[in-house]
Amino acid sequence: MLLAFEDSHKEHLSFLVDLDPEVLKEFGKISMNFIRKGTNPKVFQGAAQKLGVPVETVQHGVEGLMFLLTESCKYMLSEIDFQDSVMTLGFSEETRAALLDLYTEHQREVRDILQEMSMDLPHYRDLEWRFDMQLASRSLRHQMSPSILLRLVTEDEGERTSTMLETDPVNLVHMTRVLETALQEMKSGYCRRIVRNIK
Amino acid sequence: MELSASALEHLSLAGDATHIPDKSFGKLVLCACQGVLLEEHRDVVADNPAFKDLDKAVLKSGYSGLVTLLLEAAKHDSTEQTISTILEECKYTPERVKELNKIFTIQKPHLQLLIGKIGSSFPHIVDIDWRLDYYMKNNHMEKVNSAVYLISLKTEVAGETELKEVQFSCSLEQLQDLVGKLKDATKCLEKISQV
Repeated sequence: MLLAFEDSHKEHLSFLVDLDPEVLKEFGKISMNFIRKGTNPKVFQGAAQKLGVPVETVQHGVEGLMFLLTESCKYMLSEIDFQDSVMTLGFSEETRAALLDLYTEHQREVRDILQEMSMDLPHYRDLEWRFDMQLASRSLRHQMSPSILLRLVTEDEGERTSTMLETDPVNLVHMTRVLETALQEMKSGYCRRIVRNIK
Repeated sequence: MELSASALEHLSLAGDATHIPDKSFGKLVLCACQGVLLEEHRDVVADNPAFKDLDKAVLKSGYSGLVTLLLEAAKHDSTEQTISTILEECKYTPERVKELNKIFTIQKPHLQLLIGKIGSSFPHIVDIDWRLDYYMKNNHMEKVNSAVYLISLKTEVAGETELKEVQFSCSLEQLQDLVGKLKDATKCLEKISQV
């Protein structure tokens, strides 16, 4: 697929079209830094003075580039699709190559950053178990009841929570069986067909 | 098993034929067992017609003495021998000792099951639900395309009537890790049970 650019985005990027590839690379570095850590307006002023253009133009250029990168990563554009998309904006072969380098080099990282921003559910981290035999309690001596203590560690938005749980042998076997069926389900013909067809 | 002086005194009252006739004794022991086991039978002794001719104060003391004995005996898993020794000290006739032991032996497993449940524990897993989703995209990203399992552990919590849930999600790899660990635990259990 090709990216569809909005007019304002095209206009913002048009400033980059005429830049020297070296300068464009510098813009690429700044954009990546901003994607990682957020924008820093001071950088715009410095660059604007050096290039002798209004601060706003530089700002729009960098923001346009950031948007280009995040959108391309969002749709996981192939190299060819990326180049074709950029070509419609009028970039020369040299600058296109510079942009493609920037995209391929940082695609993973930007995807990771996007992944971090995405909605997440509390997810499994770790499970520890131990096997105990209850021998006596205040109200009943001479017991013999096996119990399995479990510590389940889950993570939600970077915060880890551990939950203490307990179960008995019968339920442990039951639980293991049920989850094994769950794992098997992913290998079923139905699931494999769906996975194959969703691209 | 040791009983306090007051408990022994109450127990002696229950065994005294001048206060509690032989025909009522067996019923009283049974009443004591059921009073412990079933909540709705807790106060039944007060209105039971079998005991209507008895002195209420004596009945109450005797009943409490018997309940104490039964609970302590169940707690320590006492033998008939131990119980007999205590009862003989409380001047019980051999017939009454035999009658009490007969009833207790039948009720002991039930009593022990009940008092075994008392105590603290972590939420106890009794069932597990799962659901398999295919995570396709979100507002930031297209083509995420990965399998996600939503797992819900049903747990029993002491003092709560309804089951509680512990929910979390995991990827295919994480579920493999989880199942692997549970299998280890199951294997360990099987080994122990064979020893």
